[in-house]
Order: sequence, then structure tokens, then C-alpha cells
Amino acid sequence: MKKPRRISLSEDLNITSMMDMFTIILVFLLKSYSTEDISVAASAEMQLPLSTSAVKPKLAVNVVVSKVGIIVDGVPLMALTKKPDESGREWIAVPDEEKKGQMITRLYDRLLEKAEQAKRIAEATASEEHAFKGEILMQCDKELPFSVIREVMYTAGQAQFSNFRFVVYSTTS
Amino acid sequence: MAGKRADAKEEPLNLLPVMNLVSILIPFLLMAAQFVTLAVIDSTLPAIGPPVEVETPPDKPPLMLSVAVTNEGFTVMGADAVLNPQGAPPSADAGPTVPCAERPCSTPQSYDYKSLTDLLNQIKDQYPDDETVILVPESRIPYEVLILLMDATREDVNKKDDKGKSRLLFPNVVIAGGAG
Repeated sequence: MKKPRRISLSEDLNITSMMDMFTIILVFLLKSYSTEDISVAASAEMQLPLSTSAVKPKLAVNVVVSKVGIIVDGVPLMALTKKPDESGREWIAVPDEEKKGQMITRLYDRLLEKAEQAKRIAEATASEEHAFKGEILMQCDKELPFSVIREVMYTAGQAQFSNFRFVVYSTTS
Repeated sequence: MAGKRADAKEEPLNLLPVMNLVSILIPFLLMAAQFVTLAVIDSTLPAIGPPVEVETPPDKPPLMLSVAVTNEGFTVMGADAVLNPQGAPPSADAGPTVPCAERPCSTPQSYDYKSLTDLLNQIKDQYPDDETVILVPESRIPYEVLILLMDATREDVNKKDDKGKSRLLFPNVVIAGGAG
């Protein structure tokens, strides 16, 4: 009788196919590698609009206005509310107690702080690169009504930020 | 020859160091990968302060191009020489210059951006040096419409020059306080 072949337990694992896969993944990831100054945390409450603009974003004070609240430089500042209009349809709005006329008081205080801070840095470094230019990055949800955007812009304007950069998803690569 | 026989026997390649390297590289690259491209649109607030004296030739009045956005469509203002060559003043109840296909406009996509860009192309032919447009949106206009409108007023992607660049229309966007 023929003896059954003994199966060797110390057979080497064949990792060639895994290597093939890794090589493809590596090339794909290297292609999508990016070192952009800003990042966007996408969520259901915060969807940026699409645009054909191809201007690269630069670092500046970052104001995120989502459907539920306002975030300044990564720190949550305040919540937004919903108000019904004459026809009963609900619109996202800044709560009345947070406003003085068109100005959002808490946002104004925070932005003024940021402006003072940026000016101190500009004075200390005395370089053209760090000069305070009043630039502000606005990341807004695409469904927000213009009234909310207007109030945020007005407040930023009062706090010496008058150059707005609206962050969008670019459709041109 | 003995040496030749030894060469013929294939040694399996030791891929483990490569595997180690790749398994470190992949998490690192995954962290830094960005699958969407971000861009910005520059805009300014209307300047507050004393008016600046600008030297303009007297025969050509400055173009103060404005586009108002309502839930019925776009109303182009300040370019009467192009819009009304006969000089007839537009009546107040004429409705928007570029209306939506169905009124009121139900979605951001129902606005007629293509016709607006065509109209701005004609205005740009008459005023090639002007680059500023003032946007006046209503309070309830969604932010997405504003961005799509800025795209429509900034450049005409269907008209390319020899270098493949789109024709620039009015790239300087100023957002005014808004109507209503």
C-alpha cells in the first residue's frame, strides 16, 4: 500500500497575491495623498455645496455653520434653532436671545478675540505673511437660508473680518 | 557544473520586510488621504466708508451690475444698456429677468443658471473691463443657490480660450445685505 503523503505544517504562506493587492492600494493612496491646510468633517448636518471654483483654500479663522450650530476654529460656540414663517414652514435661524439687531453677540465676542490674537501675532512677527488681512473661512451647510449667512457675515464684518472665503467641494480636479 | 545546478533551484523570495513596510505605510496614507477636493470662493462685504473717486471716461457710465435672487428667479440690474437697448424702463411687475422654469423655484437646480451666464456674456461684451457683480439674495434663498449663482457669474465654462481656460465674466463677488 502506498503511504499517504505527509502534509508539512511548516509550509510557507503564499503572500504574493496579498502583495499584489497592497501594491495597488498603496499606489491609489499615494495618489489621493494630500496635505491641505483645512479639513472638513462631513456629516448629515454639514454638507458643503459643489462648485466649479478651483482656488485652493488657505489657512484662516474657520467658522463652520451647520444646520444645528456654529463652530469657530473647532470649538462649538452656539446652537441654532428653527422658526416657523407665516405659512408654517420651519426655517433654520439664530435664536433671538443671541442677537442684537443683526449681530450675533457671542460670535462677535469670539471673532473679536481671534482678530486681536491675529493682530498680536502679526505685530510680534512683523512679517508680511502673518499680517492680519481679515480673512475668514466659511464652511456652511448648503441648505441654510441666506438670512443666517447674512447675520454671520454681518457679525464677522463688525469684528473686522471682511474677506470671506466660502469653502466648497470642487468639481474641477 | 555543480554551481549551475545550485542556481537553478529557486529560493522563495522573502517578502516579509516589504510586507512590514507596506502595512505601516497604508494606515499612514489612509490618514492623510483626501477623497474630495476642497476649493474656496472669495467674496467681500460691500465697502463701508467715503466713496472713492474713480476716474471714468464721461461717455461710459460705470456698470453697477447686480443680480437679485428671489424664489421666482434672477433679476439682473444695472445693465439697462444691454437689457433694454431701446431705453424703455423696466416695469416693476415685469418679473425676474431670468425666471425659473416653474415658479416658485422648488429646488436649487430649478434656477436657470445657463441663461443667466449667456446674458452676462452679452453684458461682458459691452463692458469688458468690469469685473464686479453685486449679489442681492432674499432671506430664504438657500446657500447652495448662492454658490451656484457665483459659479454662473464668475466664468462661462462653455466658452474656452486657446489655452482651455474658461471665459472670465465677473469674478469679484460682493454680497449685499439682501432684500426681505
